[in-house]
Amino acid sequence: MKKLHILGLVFIAVVIAALISLMGDLSTYDSIESARKKEGKFVHLIAKIDLSEPVVYDPLKDPNFLTFTAVDSLGFTTKVVYKNAKPTDFEKSQRIVMKGSMVGETFQCKEIVLKCPSKYKDEQGMQEKKLRAVSELKKETSVQ
Amino acid sequence: MIKFTGEHLLIGQIGNFITLLIFCSSLVAVFSFYKATVSKEILEEKPWLKLGKISFIISAVSVVALFLTLYLIIYNHYFEYKYAHQHSKRSLDMQYLLSCFWEGQEGSFMLWGFWNAVLGVFLIKTAKKWTSPVMVSMSLVQFFLASFLVGIYLFDVRIGANPFVLMRNEFPDAPIFQDPEYLSKYLTDGNGLNILLQNYWMVIHPPVLFLGFSSTVVPYAFAVAGFWKKDLAGWVRPTMPWALFSAGILGLGIMMGAAWAYESLTFGGYWAWDPVENASMVPWLLLVAGIHTLLIFQHTGHSLKAAFLFISLAFILELYATFLTRTGVLGDTSVHSFTGEGSTLYWHLILMMFLFIVIPLVFYVINRKQIPVNNKEESMNSREFWMFVGSLLLMISGVYILVLTSLPFFNKLFGTNWAIGKDVEYVYNRIMVMVAMIIGLLTAIVQYLKYKDTTRKYIWGKLAIPTIIAFVISLLISLYGDVSYDKYGVGFLVAIHMAIWTAVYSVVANAMYFITVLKGKMKAAGSSIAHFGFGLMLVGILISSSKKELVSENRTGIAIPGLKDAKGRDENPLENITLIYNIPTPMGKYVVTYLGDSTEPKNNKVYFKIDFSKTDTVKNTTEHFTVTPNAFMVKSEEGTQLSSNPGSKHYLSSDIFVYITSWLNPDNVKDTASFRNVSIKNGDTVYYSNGFVLVNKVLSANKNDNKDLPLVDSAWLSELTVMSKEGQSTQVTPAFFVKDGQPTFKTDTVMQQNLILGLQRAENGTVQLAVKESSAVMRYITLKAYRFPWINLLWLGTIIMVIGFMVSMYFRMKTKLYVA
Repeated sequence: MKKLHILGLVFIAVVIAALISLMGDLSTYDSIESARKKEGKFVHLIAKIDLSEPVVYDPLKDPNFLTFTAVDSLGFTTKVVYKNAKPTDFEKSQRIVMKGSMVGETFQCKEIVLKCPSKYKDEQGMQEKKLRAVSELKKETSVQ
Repeated sequence: MIKFTGEHLLIGQIGNFITLLIFCSSLVAVFSFYKATVSKEILEEKPWLKLGKISFIISAVSVVALFLTLYLIIYNHYFEYKYAHQHSKRSLDMQYLLSCFWEGQEGSFMLWGFWNAVLGVFLIKTAKKWTSPVMVSMSLVQFFLASFLVGIYLFDVRIGANPFVLMRNEFPDAPIFQDPEYLSKYLTDGNGLNILLQNYWMVIHPPVLFLGFSSTVVPYAFAVAGFWKKDLAGWVRPTMPWALFSAGILGLGIMMGAAWAYESLTFGGYWAWDPVENASMVPWLLLVAGIHTLLIFQHTGHSLKAAFLFISLAFILELYATFLTRTGVLGDTSVHSFTGEGSTLYWHLILMMFLFIVIPLVFYVINRKQIPVNNKEESMNSREFWMFVGSLLLMISGVYILVLTSLPFFNKLFGTNWAIGKDVEYVYNRIMVMVAMIIGLLTAIVQYLKYKDTTRKYIWGKLAIPTIIAFVISLLISLYGDVSYDKYGVGFLVAIHMAIWTAVYSVVANAMYFITVLKGKMKAAGSSIAHFGFGLMLVGILISSSKKELVSENRTGIAIPGLKDAKGRDENPLENITLIYNIPTPMGKYVVTYLGDSTEPKNNKVYFKIDFSKTDTVKNTTEHFTVTPNAFMVKSEEGTQLSSNPGSKHYLSSDIFVYITSWLNPDNVKDTASFRNVSIKNGDTVYYSNGFVLVNKVLSANKNDNKDLPLVDSAWLSELTVMSKEGQSTQVTPAFFVKDGQPTFKTDTVMQQNLILGLQRAENGTVQLAVKESSAVMRYITLKAYRFPWINLLWLGTIIMVIGFMVSMYFRMKTKLYVA
């Protein structure tokens, strides 16, 4: 066997070891209900902000405290606490991915990724809605 | 049928015609170059070659024309076209009109097509006997790029996205298109450009990055051509300068993207292991591995198979990167991934990838018996052995990054729901710090080895001095550099230190190699320069990341004197600090003051002026500067939102980096609190929620008995002291005047206490103090601030590395590339 072959095998072994150690760091996408079942475990939640409930962020009181209610596609809701500044376009986002874990009744969120219509301009629905709104508006004014 | 007015339909029809022309001419080019490649006789080959060249040049000229057509549409604000409506608006500055191209899918493919055309024409002029087989790949890429733009229907499936579609055809049901004058009435302005792209880096970095992207096909095309024409070794020489060019430009483009992220995104860094960044870096790793294995083959006859594999993979992974970032499979994992046009692009790109994987695979299998191999085993003291180890390591680190980045795609394929856990960056960094360590060591030592074999005496003779110098410098960094990043424990900190040592070793050893071995001769210096630059990059990355410092450290939860923290802090320091207008606030080693803001109405941009000063123990100012971060105000139904652009203070040895995370726009605030009136006389005390107000003196004056009051009829003045619970005292003097029976109030405000005080006269003639507590009096911002030490080493290293690539390329082009 050539030295290079041995070395190659060593490398492959290292990669496998790295990937296996990685498995411990993987988490999963969960619904609010299933996240509740594994309380304390680090999970990813995909949800929407429930805008009928208050979104509380007062930088004067505490610039690192945001709390709101999230609702997922199955209709479950949870209170979320995020110890950071409120992200830009937060209320505008259609969907959010939250990384964190359930502690008691609240979801302690470490990171929020927003899915915003403004960043994804190809959403035809949004566009159409906007066009309709514009034309409705102009129609009304012309009637008056 | 409605007759619409004001539309400019001709230019779109020209655009559509040009797109079809590119589509057809590149198809003809593919076929002609193919026939030229497979023809056995020169008489048969000649006309096909000529036809191929002509059709490719037609398609190349058309791509330029296509670019101009779309540019004219954007420039002239023809909002009847969807592309212009979606990606531009009238108020957009001239320099950002180009950025509109890269914002959309169609424009990006057009840019890729442009570079592919330029490279193809260049190859037609220079590739000599390789022209026809190489141009088959080039034309095929051109054909696919055109197919992304045609937007024709094939059995109800739209192939590609046409940049010249009209708004009224895309949204036929929208009622505004019932009006023949919709263009002048409704579609008067476009949606505008994503504000993140309104940055000068965004104008210049995509063209460079795309040149890097698109040039990876050239080495691929040569490799395939070599195996196709059964010239299994001959392709290596002409591939070399192209591979160097590609790696240099791609590296530059990636780092320019990093600079954009650093300057305009609020990630707080130049690299976030975002899938978009990873996907562009992996092909670069493969390309660099490819260059090293090509070199090994040229000097020793080893590792041709590996070179073929790496070079082919570099381009295939470039396609895969496009697939990952453009089709939306990354979905929720990427902050700035682009969502595509849906499932057609998905299969379209899969088809393209499949084809470009099959081509080299087939040729490899056909030729597998004839591939030249050197069965003599490499010596451990040879350069090629360790170069190969390095290449293998680059590839393996690429695989690691790729597997992690592809997790969302695997989830889609296998129906799983895995994601990288808590700390994305650490998952990458802990492996990459090891890679950096080994690569640093290899780039330091291996240059000093000779091909085939090297005597130990030679190695130690040459390496002794650089080793000692590097050892001393590294030791000094470790002892006095204060690299103490212990968030992930001692093991990771030790790994960082070791990586810094090897990176410094690489810098020193390559500099010394240039001086002592090459004696400053440029001809062979490309690799020393590139490795020197790469070493500097590693040092810059390691030091700036491990010493990155949160300046806006907020351990109390609140930094405002006078407001209490409701929630105790047990965790790591939090990152945001709120600054109140004109109130100096301690922040890390600095005292920071929010001096005000100004608005640029043209593009709704707000500039914040923030003053930093640092004093020593005897109150002398040692450092003083202002930073001006800015933010776009984005108006929407939900109110005004901010999109922040960092501001920074650049020093040679570090950058201070500040961005606004929250701002109270005074226009948005409605003051809902009301005054509470309390009758007062001298010496009274009035309480408020966070303290009390002492009434020192109340004066009343009347025009009749006071000659100092010529302007008003009567006046009531007060002198008050506001004492907060924290012991802060402030003097205020609210007053009340009456003139011609009309009252006027002079209220006084205590910003820190959210307190507004006024004076009033009650019905019965007593004087009343009006007290209002309202957050509306506050002008404040919330911000984050970081310090990045020695980040300039990273940028400097990048430039030097790219120069190294170009020097190598230049001298390799001068050697005889085409040996018959």
